[in-house]
Amino acid sequence: MAVKIVADGKLPPLWHYGHEEHDVIASKTFGFWLYMLSDALIFAGIFAAYGVLDHTMNAAGGPTEAQIVHPIAAFWQTIAVLSSVFAYSLATVALKHGNRLGLMLGIVAAILLGGVFMALELKDFADLYAQGATAQTSGFLSAFFLIIATHGLHMIFGLIWLLVMLAQILRLGLTAPVVAQLLNLRLFWQFQAAIWVCVYVFVYLKGAI
Amino acid sequence: MAAHSDDPLQHPEVQQASVFGYTAGFLATLALLGAALLLTEGHLMPPEQLLGGISGLALIALLAQCFLSFGLDITSHNIWKSVSLILTVPLFILTIGLTVWMFQQLDALTMIPGASVMPGMTMQPTLLQ
Amino acid sequence: MLTPFPGPWSVLFGRLTWAAIPYNNPIIIFAFVFTAVAGLLIVAPVLYFKKIPYLYREWLTTVDHKKIGVMYIILGLVMMFRGFVDGMMIRTQQVMADGPHSAGYLEAAHGYLPPDHFDQIYSSHGTLMIIFAATPILTGLGNIIVPLQIGARDMAYPMMNAISFWLTAMGAMLVMASLFIGDFSSAGWVGLIPLTEVSFSPSTGVDYWMWAIQISSVGTTLNAINVIATIVNMRAPGMRWDRLPIFTWTTLSTSVIGLTSFPILGVALALLGADRYLGTHFFTAGMGGNLMLYTNLFWIWGHPEVYFLVLPAFGIISEVIPTFAEKPLFGYVTMVAATFAIAGISWTVWLHHFFTMGAGPLVNSFFSVATMVVGIPTGVKVFNWLFTLYRGRLTFATPMLWAVGALFLLLIGGLTGMMLAIPAVNYTVHNSVFVIAHFHCMVLLIVYAAFAAVTFWFPKVFGFRLDERTGKWFFATFSIGTALLFTAMFGLGFMGETRRLDYLYNTQWFPALVIEEIGVGFYTLSCLFFFAMLFVSIRDRAKNIVGADAWGTARTLEWMTHSPVPFYNFAVTPQVNSRDELSWRYANKAAGIAPDHFVPIHMPNNTPVPIIIGALAFGFGFGLTWRIWWLAGLSLLGIIAVVIYRSFTRDKGYELTGAMMAKLEQEAPRGIIAESQYLSKAGAH
Repeated sequence: MAVKIVADGKLPPLWHYGHEEHDVIASKTFGFWLYMLSDALIFAGIFAAYGVLDHTMNAAGGPTEAQIVHPIAAFWQTIAVLSSVFAYSLATVALKHGNRLGLMLGIVAAILLGGVFMALELKDFADLYAQGATAQTSGFLSAFFLIIATHGLHMIFGLIWLLVMLAQILRLGLTAPVVAQLLNLRLFWQFQAAIWVCVYVFVYLKGAI
Repeated sequence: MAAHSDDPLQHPEVQQASVFGYTAGFLATLALLGAALLLTEGHLMPPEQLLGGISGLALIALLAQCFLSFGLDITSHNIWKSVSLILTVPLFILTIGLTVWMFQQLDALTMIPGASVMPGMTMQPTLLQ
Repeated sequence: MLTPFPGPWSVLFGRLTWAAIPYNNPIIIFAFVFTAVAGLLIVAPVLYFKKIPYLYREWLTTVDHKKIGVMYIILGLVMMFRGFVDGMMIRTQQVMADGPHSAGYLEAAHGYLPPDHFDQIYSSHGTLMIIFAATPILTGLGNIIVPLQIGARDMAYPMMNAISFWLTAMGAMLVMASLFIGDFSSAGWVGLIPLTEVSFSPSTGVDYWMWAIQISSVGTTLNAINVIATIVNMRAPGMRWDRLPIFTWTTLSTSVIGLTSFPILGVALALLGADRYLGTHFFTAGMGGNLMLYTNLFWIWGHPEVYFLVLPAFGIISEVIPTFAEKPLFGYVTMVAATFAIAGISWTVWLHHFFTMGAGPLVNSFFSVATMVVGIPTGVKVFNWLFTLYRGRLTFATPMLWAVGALFLLLIGGLTGMMLAIPAVNYTVHNSVFVIAHFHCMVLLIVYAAFAAVTFWFPKVFGFRLDERTGKWFFATFSIGTALLFTAMFGLGFMGETRRLDYLYNTQWFPALVIEEIGVGFYTLSCLFFFAMLFVSIRDRAKNIVGADAWGTARTLEWMTHSPVPFYNFAVTPQVNSRDELSWRYANKAAGIAPDHFVPIHMPNNTPVPIIIGALAFGFGFGLTWRIWWLAGLSLLGIIAVVIYRSFTRDKGYELTGAMMAKLEQEAPRGIIAESQYLSKAGAH
């Protein structure tokens, strides 16, 4: 492709003198979305590991899938995490209308419901440990605890972030960076619900088949 | 980047929040997972088909979340998120799918049938002196 | 402890004791003396000329993509030197330890390196070269060039850019620390399983290796996010997708690979870490572990990783050849398509690294075909480069020599790669030095491209050209070394030499080993020429000062900035009208037209947060390696605290008014060095 020559004297503009606009919010949320994709691939790797280690031989004579998953009990966790995500999503609707109180109430509700989720999960862990089913018992149990714990760690991180956002709203107000963070947190929190769908179906339900 | 008014609350990504969308997403996911639970606990399908069935329900739940909760569409402020997600999905399928297939083949070729109940599989490796 | 390991442990120092310092190993003592002297030679002038505040202000706290890129490249070159010394030691050991009657020195039965020390050397050679030499150099180049090529003022996330650098640097520091405190992994750069389990590698070596890679991987992933966001969101007006320079396209594709594949490496190493620290059974030999799972996960990352390294190299070649052939790149669209085809297909081929592991003919066939398919877009690229060269007005300046040399290496490396893609062939040469010779051709083509890029863009960044004469000697000696070493190695591969051997039993291999050692001699000479090139170039820099278009025949946007590039890149954002914008301006006699007035621009402030996070990351890695739990815990909490604290910042950067811009542009072009004094002259601070 040869270089295009323009007609004499008809040079198009060479420099852009306009004011430099920088969409802070779109820039931050796109970068965060990309991070979420890499986070999703962490889970892909973990699910691949689980797919390899969930056979009977990986239980090394210890508890197998069917013996440790309780889908009905885990459904309460499902309700908790989905409600927490729903509460935060509604909080961002309040943000849309500039309703600061609604926003903060939604965040508090999300924290509480997320706390319920973590409490249920930790109780489940404690019960399993009491039965002697620990991550050190077998390869299968290592993989099982890995999936649940990785999701749980993300949840804890999100709960801390929710608390920090409460402080930021109070201290900085609804500036562009703070709003961008709230949107990022929405992506992160909704992502936890999406991952939980996979965890619930492919660990708890699949284990009970 | 297109110019926006200086009020961050007017940004399209803030304004795309919708009570209807979030409620629909929440209820749809809950309902689909509840259906999957019922299918499993009630043994309403034979085991081989059951896995396919609940996988299908999970897929629909994830799609519902994409549209209703994440609000992914092809508007200018969301299109890159949608494109990057669609391009990443094959990688999930490759990572998990090819791994599982590979190990199925490997197990069929290298594992003695019935190895899972062999007593020797419970030894702790010891420190090499 | 959840996992039993030998040796003492204390709350304050973990596993760290005085015995960890290898003061009775003469080779390490020599390495220490060498490093200390080199370090002193650098630190002493800094102290003497009282440059610490300057260093802190302009380099350690910078968020400028160009300075960060320069630091990346310096880190990469230093680590490459150490990796080269490791390689030299491997070669020397093998030539000395050939045959049962070969002599033994320094406690070795044959040669001069006992087996465990030899194993650590090839492990660190691989780790350093791939993760801490090639990756930082290529990342640094992308950092400097991509924003300039798209007409942007900086990357999308300047502070995160700096954090990425410091995390990578701290990973490298962990590997350096392993040289003098404790030992390094003996399990190869891939971490051969189950050797890496704590029961078989009870020392801290594997832990050093693991945390060094994990910490730097976080940096690489963050950098990938940064690059993608920059290219998508920050292009200058008129920089449409079909006008994007080819190096930017390849960097985009590289970053997509990095973003998607590095998480899997994180998983593989995290699972290994869980086995080593928490006593889990992901990969243990027994108790329900699956050894091959590690290999599988590692290579799911490992194969895209090599394309992560080679695609920027292809991009560099695609920039250098058109410039020195004075022709536009042939087949721009097919080049871009081929780049993304390679990136996509590279995700489906990873099993070819372990065809012999028993997955069977069906699985092997799938991956074999996929591996062969990925050669097709690569071939497209080679032909496009050849057609670019054809009937061009060729100038063989140093960058062009390196770029064309890379093409020859790609030919040999690619063809031997296609041989290895055939499982039947692979079964006969798996784990032999044939494989080593193949992939060294590929990584050397990356190194050739890196040297092409460094010599090509050096004048843009620093304002003067590198000396051509010493540069050509550097190229010549390096190339002779490469030819001798790896031709002999392909032969040895066919003769059956296995890889990773500290002792070779077959004396018939001796002549080939000698040829390889002569090759190493040429490499050592080339190092001297490299340093000579730097010395001569800096000494004679006044004679080699260049303008914006350093080579006279440049084509893309970055050559429109001053040389050296001012800290703000372009005074006024350019309006892009064509692919190869600078060539278009030359053809339309618009190249000399400067902006007629200036507008305010916005720049980010420097910040110490990135280097603080880096230091804490080092503490985290070191603490975990030596099981100093309080250090690891406090470092992690510190990182979280710093991130949260920084998120409350009201820092919005600073603005330069149009008048200040005019003043800055009027004075001689500011360089990559010492921006602040000129800023205060212009009235900004």
